[in-house]
Amino acid sequence: MKNITKSFGTNQVLKDVSITIHDGEICALIGENGAGKSTLMNILGGVHQTDSGAIFLDGQRVHFANPAQSLGAGIAFIHQELNLINDLPIYENMFIGRELKGRWGRLDLAAMEQATQDIFDRMDIDIDPKTMVRDLDASYKQIVEICRAILMDASVIIMDEPTTSLTEPEIERVFQMMRTLRDQGVGIIFISHKLGEVMEICQRYLVLRDGELVAEGDVADVTMDDIARFMVGKALIIDQLTRTKNIGEEVLRLEGFTHAKSFRGVDLTVRSGEILGVTGLLGDGRSALFQTVFGADRNTSGNMFLSGKQVKISSTEQALQMGIGYLPRNRKENGIIKDMNVLDNASIVTWPLFATRGVLDTDKHVEIFQTQRRELDITLQTLMDPINTLSGGNQQKVVLAKWLAANPKLLILDNPTQGVDVGAKEEIYEAILRLAAEGMAIVVLSSEAQEIIRLCDRALVMYHGQIQGEVSGETMTEQHIMRLATGGILDAV
Amino acid sequence: METVRGTKKNLLHRLIQARAADSHVGIALVLLLLVIVQTLVLGFDYGSFGQWFTAWFRNWVNILRNNAGVGIVALGMTFVIITGGIDLAVGSTLVATGAVIMTLIDTGATGILGQMGIAGAPAYATAVVIALVMGYVLGTGIGLLITKGRIAPFIATLGAMKIFRSVTQHFMQGYNPRVPRGFLQISNLQMGGLMFMPILYWVIIALVLHYVSRRTTFGRQVIAVGSNERAAQLSGVNVGRVKTRVYSLMGILVAIASIVQVARIGSMDYANAGSGMEMDAIAAAVVGGTSMAGGRGTILGTFMGMLIIAVMNNLLNLFGVPPFLREAFKGLIVVLAVLLQRKQMT
Repeated sequence: MKNITKSFGTNQVLKDVSITIHDGEICALIGENGAGKSTLMNILGGVHQTDSGAIFLDGQRVHFANPAQSLGAGIAFIHQELNLINDLPIYENMFIGRELKGRWGRLDLAAMEQATQDIFDRMDIDIDPKTMVRDLDASYKQIVEICRAILMDASVIIMDEPTTSLTEPEIERVFQMMRTLRDQGVGIIFISHKLGEVMEICQRYLVLRDGELVAEGDVADVTMDDIARFMVGKALIIDQLTRTKNIGEEVLRLEGFTHAKSFRGVDLTVRSGEILGVTGLLGDGRSALFQTVFGADRNTSGNMFLSGKQVKISSTEQALQMGIGYLPRNRKENGIIKDMNVLDNASIVTWPLFATRGVLDTDKHVEIFQTQRRELDITLQTLMDPINTLSGGNQQKVVLAKWLAANPKLLILDNPTQGVDVGAKEEIYEAILRLAAEGMAIVVLSSEAQEIIRLCDRALVMYHGQIQGEVSGETMTEQHIMRLATGGILDAV
Repeated sequence: METVRGTKKNLLHRLIQARAADSHVGIALVLLLLVIVQTLVLGFDYGSFGQWFTAWFRNWVNILRNNAGVGIVALGMTFVIITGGIDLAVGSTLVATGAVIMTLIDTGATGILGQMGIAGAPAYATAVVIALVMGYVLGTGIGLLITKGRIAPFIATLGAMKIFRSVTQHFMQGYNPRVPRGFLQISNLQMGGLMFMPILYWVIIALVLHYVSRRTTFGRQVIAVGSNERAAQLSGVNVGRVKTRVYSLMGILVAIASIVQVARIGSMDYANAGSGMEMDAIAAAVVGGTSMAGGRGTILGTFMGMLIIAVMNNLLNLFGVPPFLREAFKGLIVVLAVLLQRKQMT
């Protein structure tokens, strides 16, 4: 791709970017949110058209007006949200839209099954093509998508953060598949935020920052710190953040807290002014556990105590009244209300708190939000703008703001910096530290060990719905957390 | 010529942009257009301006009064649809409530309040209160079926629709209550020779609900729940209660529509009264910009949507379009309205 430029409105998202992908290599495309990775790949995948510049495939200039043309030329784009139909078997999914047909349009199921089996044999994959996609775990779904790309004779495969929802062994499985493909001469573009994975699987790297290619080279020549520096343009802080610790009375205690499916026998306590981390890998049950604490779900057994008194919480409304706040994960699905404006999104939690006989106190909400806007440094045009017009980081700050307005005793933050750029991340961290210093009890749920280490006083590591161990101080290291999260135990220190 | 066309295009473009910012502008423009057409069709062939104005005004009062009942129901339907639900039972609830009102105030031997020796204004007041309570109870029942019983709104209200009408018809067989003249005043009280009352109720309710929708916790929570139920729940909103209340409100509004209708004509056809009302109410909401997917819709929009349908109906009447074809036009408006709104979103 040569001299690619792309603007959306007045916003130039790609500035004269030129990249080359060779066959038989895995090349990492790295950058912060909004750096232009997705736009660049969408141009290659035929989703967007370039304003200027050109794409060359095997030396030939090509032009993609739509994704179908790009796919026809051998470029397969595997999106983060997989494009599989759960209720069809693998082999039918492989041929969606291009089914093999016999006479009179009858589907030739046997031929499709055989073709799928052939590819699985070639790639050394041991699954039955007749398996329903529903019954596959996330990694095999990813693998089916890759096989579909192979079936279409793809010479370039773009993989957009393929490992985000995978567990450790699943990631290894997908990587194995990627290596096999590489050895067979396919060029793979691997978009990822996880630098550890980049170091492990990629030969080359490309770093985008603010729409420009700022660094490229061989992975062997650099360290993770180097790449991280390229991404942000400045050295990353990795020490634990400091604050005035003001740890007081116990706020929340769980005893034998159990939900039949998601978590079992959880015991924990959180004190006021304390920041407790809870981490683990996908499927550890931490979100379900704390959504239950927040009343969005019911536990099947076990007891919950707030400030020493036993409570039963059956609705989120009740939890809110008892002084519990919960900032959810997946902002788009659980956090923001897209049909409402910024002010509504920032005040929804406190509507009933400040209303007199059901009538909203809009002035008060505006006043509170204006203060928070300064404290959290939220960038926006007017309070009446639709929430969608804000960047991801600012949206997340608005979601945080709605909970701060309620001033809860216990604030649970589930992946508080998900999909947020580095600058906004630091500002959210600062806000969390400030709240703890003021005496709020805080629980941070995160899958990023670094986040836990930087932010928390101590952390519980969950594994398949149970607390596997606790780390704090000296023992709170990425290695220890990973060992517990994968089901291991810490040696006696 | 070219430049003229160019400016026209620009103007249109600007209007469309204005619409994108506030969908009310477009709806209001369509309504204005219809009002102008309606005025032209009525003609100016009258003796004096005064006579023309009287004729014009009377025509409007008639249009509005004839649609006040459905108009009131459509306002409630807007809330229901915003939460992502639907209420098919409004017509049957109307008939059931109407039957109860008439049994209560019947001046014949079997009139319940009459037998208890209550007549006149106290009887009417009692009947109105009982009707409102009944609307509330039926609506709340439907709401609880949907929230606690976890039945899809379409199914729950389809069931209620069948049950309410069938039971009403069964019990009202061969019984023709006589509605006292005094009760008719609720809808037929004349002011300046015109019967404004139904229009007055409609406008007052619209204003109140407009306020509720924009300025109260409940009104905002309705939109939040409809736009993103999970996010609303995780913001401490009691989603079940908000939804139930929406159906309770719907029930009360249907009861009001029922009172207005009984008082207007003094009788009720249990088999046909209110049938198709749910569709008319939904049509008004949709024409007014309410999204069937939930999360979007306004009281003002629905009010104007109802007016558009009403004026359109009246025009078709004036143009002499055969009655059977009028429904086709109604269908056309709904589809066109949604099509236009879809175009603007993209």
